[in-house]
Amino acid sequence: MTIQTTQIQSGGLDATTVAQISSGEPGWLRELRADWWGTVDANPWPTGAEEEWRRTSLDDLPRDGGLLLDPPMATYDLDPELAARGVIFSDLASAVREHGDLVKARLGQNQTLPAQMPFWGRSLAAWTGGTFLYVPKGVVIDGLLTARTSLPSGTFTYLPHTLVILEEDASATLFEEVSSPDGQAVWFGGTADVQVGYGARLRYANLQRLGDGVWRIGAQRVDVGQDANVTTLNAEIGSAISKVGMDVRMTGKGGTSRLLGLLAAGGSQSIDFNSCQDLIGSHTTSDLLYLSALYDAAHASFYGVTRVRPEAKQTSSYQECRNLLLSPKAGAEPIPVLEIETNDILRCGHGATAGAIDPVQRFYAQSRGMTAEAAERMIVRGFFERVVAQIDSEPIKARVLDALAARIGSVEEEAA
Amino acid sequence: MAVPNPAVDKVPTGYKYGWHDPEMKSLHVMKKGLSREVVEEISRIKGEPQWMTDLRLKAYRHFEARPMPTWGGDMSQIDFQDIFYYVTATDKAVQSWDDVPDYIRRTYDRLGIPEAEKKYLAGVGGQYDSEVVYHNIRADLEKLGVIFLGTDEGLQKYPEIFKEYFGTVIPPNDNKLAALNTAVWSGGSFIYVPKGVHVELPLQAYFRINTENMGQFERTLIIADEGSSVHYVEGCTAPAYTTASLHSAVVEIIVKKGARVRYTTIQNWSHNVYNLVTKRAVAYEDAVMEWVDGNLGSHLTMKYPSIYLLGERAHGEVLSIAFAGSDQHQDAGGKVIHAAPNTTSLITSKSISQGTGRTSYRGLVKVYPGCHGSKSTVRCDALILSDEARSDTYPYMEIDEDDVTIGHEATVSKVGSEQLFYLMSRGMNEAEASAMIVNGFIEPIVKELPMEYAVEMNRLIQLQMEGAVG
Repeated sequence: MTIQTTQIQSGGLDATTVAQISSGEPGWLRELRADWWGTVDANPWPTGAEEEWRRTSLDDLPRDGGLLLDPPMATYDLDPELAARGVIFSDLASAVREHGDLVKARLGQNQTLPAQMPFWGRSLAAWTGGTFLYVPKGVVIDGLLTARTSLPSGTFTYLPHTLVILEEDASATLFEEVSSPDGQAVWFGGTADVQVGYGARLRYANLQRLGDGVWRIGAQRVDVGQDANVTTLNAEIGSAISKVGMDVRMTGKGGTSRLLGLLAAGGSQSIDFNSCQDLIGSHTTSDLLYLSALYDAAHASFYGVTRVRPEAKQTSSYQECRNLLLSPKAGAEPIPVLEIETNDILRCGHGATAGAIDPVQRFYAQSRGMTAEAAERMIVRGFFERVVAQIDSEPIKARVLDALAARIGSVEEEAA
Repeated sequence: MAVPNPAVDKVPTGYKYGWHDPEMKSLHVMKKGLSREVVEEISRIKGEPQWMTDLRLKAYRHFEARPMPTWGGDMSQIDFQDIFYYVTATDKAVQSWDDVPDYIRRTYDRLGIPEAEKKYLAGVGGQYDSEVVYHNIRADLEKLGVIFLGTDEGLQKYPEIFKEYFGTVIPPNDNKLAALNTAVWSGGSFIYVPKGVHVELPLQAYFRINTENMGQFERTLIIADEGSSVHYVEGCTAPAYTTASLHSAVVEIIVKKGARVRYTTIQNWSHNVYNLVTKRAVAYEDAVMEWVDGNLGSHLTMKYPSIYLLGERAHGEVLSIAFAGSDQHQDAGGKVIHAAPNTTSLITSKSISQGTGRTSYRGLVKVYPGCHGSKSTVRCDALILSDEARSDTYPYMEIDEDDVTIGHEATVSKVGSEQLFYLMSRGMNEAEASAMIVNGFIEPIVKELPMEYAVEMNRLIQLQMEGAVG
């Protein structure tokens, strides 16, 4: 890897910065950025009174760091044969240069949950990195598409935007991983706009291994088309503060989504997710399963809304949030909300738990000769298994387990 | 001028419990609206000690300063200046049924209070408008030292107990509506159960709103001393009026070491009432507090009985049942705060929405650091009976201790067509079959009610279900 000097824009985020990063870009993109900046400039910053912002204060967000202008780009490896069939997999800026019309039609066209709009807008105005994936109609990608980014040292703001488009009957698995060194006050505001068309199938995994000084303020919007099938995974291991809003819109008839989360936190980490599973189309299915293991004084919050619209008939949905508290100072606030506006539902419910390891399990493992630490590792690993088992890509599973081992320890070592 | 309430136009004129006694006359009727002078006047009429007047005025300032809550139901149509804050039918509470004025007795006759008494219920405290007008405690309870009075009378007779406990569980600045209640409260029940005394039969009080646009701000204070037990039952029906009415009660309960209190409410306000109630109990070491809360009527109910578990091994339970018909919103639930080790709690909520009705469960389980061994289970089930009905669940959990077992589960369902088909194949019509399924759904809570109430509850559900299609 070549060492490069990082270019960081001095000062905070403002209209001048947005205009400056836009110089040299096509006119439509300059306008789009300016429009989005207009929406965030006009709208207030979250005050903490909003339901989704009650559990994460933005007071200490490092917002004065300059914008990271030349982020390290992931290597976007794509089989030339797939490229020949029209698949595009690159960083967003390259896609703007090489496939301007396609990006223009789909970039920045959607809004997201009101709680995340200030950050969605900032990212769309001031993105300098991010992934672009386009899979044309009927193209099935069997292999894994990986975008792995390591952020440099320094204090900065980085607001990448990822745009994923799967056309009718397309299929793909995308894995994004981001990491950064510890001890750096960084505002990482990555957002993703995922558009999955009629009958398409997407597996989208995110592994977050940011450094212990990073504020990750993210937003994901997923549009699930008719008969489409989407699985998302958010594995959150790093960062000081992580606040992510997931906006899942089950728009098309018969669409299915599975939303998986693995959260492992220690120290004084705080992880706060809010989600909306919006069942708009009939015969849609949306199931959410988020598991957190919390060490030291770590704290996890989850405010998840399942909304069944009056016109959405025969839907199935479940929301499950489980928290394993591994220290007396750890804490959890799971809040699974249901808003059901029709009686024509097949299945709807939620479950949430918080608690320590069952002493009987611990005793059993130790009675088999394990140390207390080994027993805890194994039980935590077992706790995560319900999500891990659903990761059907071996390379993703290996990366996620590797990242988890940094927090919970490696169970495999124990066995050896 | 009151804003016309669309919900009220749909209240049928033959509403079973909605009649208005034309002979009713009030001795003290103040002008509509709220001001410092009204608050002072209420306190002056009651001849209260200065500390209570000061507390009312302090609460009034909090009420003025606070914005209206923006969460929960739609309260935008409440006009605080279009409400009477003090009305009384008799000047003082009376001890014997014979002393109760005729027209008020007729009111109670229709509600069946004498029957309840015939069934050897321990005592009857009826509330007609804002003052307690009738009290009767069985002599043996009096001998045991149990106090069961109207709250105003309680303040006059036992000022030292009042000063010690009043406003300690729900302080005047707790929330806007509790502040309003503290400023203008009138009536309610005051119960003191001495150490080690077990009140075997439930104590009952009926509450009614009977003057058009009459706000009812009763205040109930229950103290169960160490090792004692009591069951208090409160039921409400109200006449159907044509303009919005406000009911904003405050209930404070202190359950001391090893004591046990159960508070049962069945509430069937007519469909124009805003029912915004603050109910809270504190439970000390080994104490048990149970709220059984049934909400059938009103235009909007916002009520979340809460329990603060302050002593080790204290136990709290909330059983909540809500039925929302068209143009009704029941925003109900429960809160349990675990503030001591080895405390346990259970919240069970059953809600049913019909027509364009909306039920919302809103609750909180909070575990403070150091409260090891705490256990809590929250179970919410909702039944949606029509395509336009709505059901929400907002269960909050704040867990700051690892050695705990906290769980929450919720389901939302409709009456299954197979269930209906089965019952109808046995000769029932659809309404009967639906009513049976609904009664089965609420059974876990109804079986906790005193028998008269269980019967009434089932009957009320049946009345609500008439005309409903599963």
